[in-house]
Amino acid sequence: MSATAPVAEMAPLELLEGSTAIARAAILSNCRFFAGYPMSPFTGLLENMAKLMPAAGGVCINAESEIEGVNMVIGAASTGARAATGSCGQGIALMQEAVAEAALNETPLVIFNMARNQQDYFQCTRGGGWGDYRTLTLAPKDVPEAVEHTQLLFHLADKYRAPVILYGDPLIAQTRVGVRLAAPDLEPLAPKDWALDGTMGGTGKSRQVWTWAMGKVTDPGLGPDGHWRAVADKFEMIAAAEQRWESAYADEAETLVIAFGSAAKFTEYVVDELRAEGHSVGWFRPITLWPFPGAALAQATRSSRRVLVYELNAGQMLDDVRQFVHDRDTVRFIGGVSIHESGLSYGPLLDAPVLRDRILAAMAQPTER
Amino acid sequence: MLDSTSEHELLILGIGGQGIQLIGKTLAQAATSSGRHAMLAAEYGGEMRGGPSQATVVIGERPLRSLPILASAGSAIVMHDRFCGVVPERLRAGGLLVVNSSIVDPAAAGDGYRVGGLPATDIARELGKPQTAGFIMLGAFNALTGLVTHEQLVDAMRSLLPPYRIEHADSNAAALLAGSDAARDLELSGTVAA
Amino acid sequence: MSVINTQTPPTGPAQKVAEFHTPLILGEHGLCPGCGEPVALRILLETLQELNLVQRTIGVVGHGCYGSFVRIMDIDVLQCLHGRAPACATGIKRMRPDTAVFTLQGDGDMVNEGLQEVIHAAARGENVTCILLNNGVFGDTGGQQTATTVLGQRTKTSLEGRDAEKHGYPIRIADIVASVDGAGYVARGAVNTAREVMRTKRLIRNAFESQLAGEGLSLVEILTMCPTGWFVTAPDGPDYLESSMTAAYPLGVLHSRSAEAN
Repeated sequence: MSATAPVAEMAPLELLEGSTAIARAAILSNCRFFAGYPMSPFTGLLENMAKLMPAAGGVCINAESEIEGVNMVIGAASTGARAATGSCGQGIALMQEAVAEAALNETPLVIFNMARNQQDYFQCTRGGGWGDYRTLTLAPKDVPEAVEHTQLLFHLADKYRAPVILYGDPLIAQTRVGVRLAAPDLEPLAPKDWALDGTMGGTGKSRQVWTWAMGKVTDPGLGPDGHWRAVADKFEMIAAAEQRWESAYADEAETLVIAFGSAAKFTEYVVDELRAEGHSVGWFRPITLWPFPGAALAQATRSSRRVLVYELNAGQMLDDVRQFVHDRDTVRFIGGVSIHESGLSYGPLLDAPVLRDRILAAMAQPTER
Repeated sequence: MLDSTSEHELLILGIGGQGIQLIGKTLAQAATSSGRHAMLAAEYGGEMRGGPSQATVVIGERPLRSLPILASAGSAIVMHDRFCGVVPERLRAGGLLVVNSSIVDPAAAGDGYRVGGLPATDIARELGKPQTAGFIMLGAFNALTGLVTHEQLVDAMRSLLPPYRIEHADSNAAALLAGSDAARDLELSGTVAA
Repeated sequence: MSVINTQTPPTGPAQKVAEFHTPLILGEHGLCPGCGEPVALRILLETLQELNLVQRTIGVVGHGCYGSFVRIMDIDVLQCLHGRAPACATGIKRMRPDTAVFTLQGDGDMVNEGLQEVIHAAARGENVTCILLNNGVFGDTGGQQTATTVLGQRTKTSLEGRDAEKHGYPIRIADIVASVDGAGYVARGAVNTAREVMRTKRLIRNAFESQLAGEGLSLVEILTMCPTGWFVTAPDGPDYLESSMTAAYPLGVLHSRSAEAN
């Protein structure tokens, strides 16, 4: 199941750095407010937004911190504007209180986690804020898909009135790829009759964006109990409706390799090579990290004798794989922490020959089934 | 290995200041302008000059499956010997290897490749523009592979120059042409051009 | 003493005292007897009415006792995170530049949790009006020391009175903001007497006029009574404010771009 948002095929190919392509895709999706604080490799997106937003009639603010940046975005989004922020790892950590707030007061916004590696899986899928909320997270495998996901995320944020995350990385932020950019063609959404525009003052029907949802003395709201139950129900509904994944050869392969984001593109490449050499191997890729495509994974691993998890961290998605895989005893971890000496990007483990060796080594081990 | 002839992968290796990123970008932009899919991935140290600099360019007719960290490449341009250890790791047997013979000994560049040495730094000095050695190498490489037309390469180079560097356009174009001319006299398989 | 002329009809209809309440207040507040914050709310909302801004105003309300005003004020409101109101107001104003945007924050909210917010918003020259309700204590949590607690003031976290050596000095945020280039109007008022209430209302009006004129960030610090947090009786609150706070926080206009231009 692809996360593809339809894009006009006739748009010309342009060679764009990922950060530029994402910025332009966001603006084509009518994003008109962006605020962020520089942090590599997110910085390129901030610079592109600063360059491109004014001509689009929008605003980009180099905020004094990630905390201010995300709260400016909550303000902008509360007026109905499409708004986004971004950072990576530590910067996203600073935003967690506001991400939870946006989830609970139902402000739609997009967070670009242009991460340094894959160590933010828990941060994206579990979050660090308070309350019963989730953050829908898309993990593109390359720049063209990051463009599609960007446009889809603005749509989903509005559709569900919730903060959503694009989980990118240095390869997506900094690689230049030929992409086609066009305004997305997505289903129409309900008007934002909840948005603050100031016009309802004094009518008795003035609007509130309020996590506690108590309403007015003259028109009480659901209050925290009712509102937070409703928000939790909404996330349960999203969990059922928005799972995205893709896989290949799952039904016919002894060994299935699970990976997300850039690592999934490397996996796809290596698995194709191995299959051409006659190995019985396939791959499965969660596109939404939350909601995790658990039922699809269970189905895909029904006949697998080995389920190999390849991620560039100490084993975070591994938890989700173990939760949903058909047989937990088949799971082996072949990823690991691997950081470039600069600290800003992947280390040597994200490499096709290394992955190939790890898959072959795992396939040489006896299976449990 | 899969047949990957449908995608052409090029490794460009050298040190910062040699224009590694710019020539990679020029080739990728020229391919994109000609309607093909291209990818340019870069890796370089923090220094503007003197540190290792590497670019990879992939060109294909369809959306690319090649990785931003190339699994292997069909060709390589090597501008400096300090950082060409990547070649035996990644360049496929029989691949095209174009080396800057002013700095790198083509004989030492590795076995099993189609090697062409081009004294790009010397030619650039003769042109009076020593900083254009990279464009000389690119002009030669493109003449050998025919990936894009010479005109597409020159147009891409011009389109990528920022306004404050636009005065270099003519000398860069001259360097592309000099490289293209030199390639005509180049014998591959380890023979060094004079 | 003037005598009402009963020979001619009155020029306007008779008004009961209760009708002086702004219709923007939808019901009773639930704060303590003697609290100054409802008075500040009333003059804020009356000002919006008088400036004809009621249907083009968005408020951003922080966290403190005044947070409960969201339930009784008939104005579009974003109730934001503690300390973050100037950032949220920035996003709102940039997307809706035709609205009047204000923040309502306490001293704990603006000067403790969100100190940098108001300073940076002022430095950016954001055209928003920040209303600081300064009573020198965390009222909502039961009377702890804030960054503006005056020296000598007893709180639950400075039981023997705020001592500079132990607890540091209070921060005069309005003076700091007044020194920032992007500020348009900065003033300090109080609501402990009828006279100061009327004066402070004028300061609020000036601040919104400054915002509408695009002069940059405007800030009105309002000293408000918190008899509960101060451990005094409700009737003693106004006098206590006069004796303790106004010495540390002198009232008046601290900065006015338009006045300085004239």
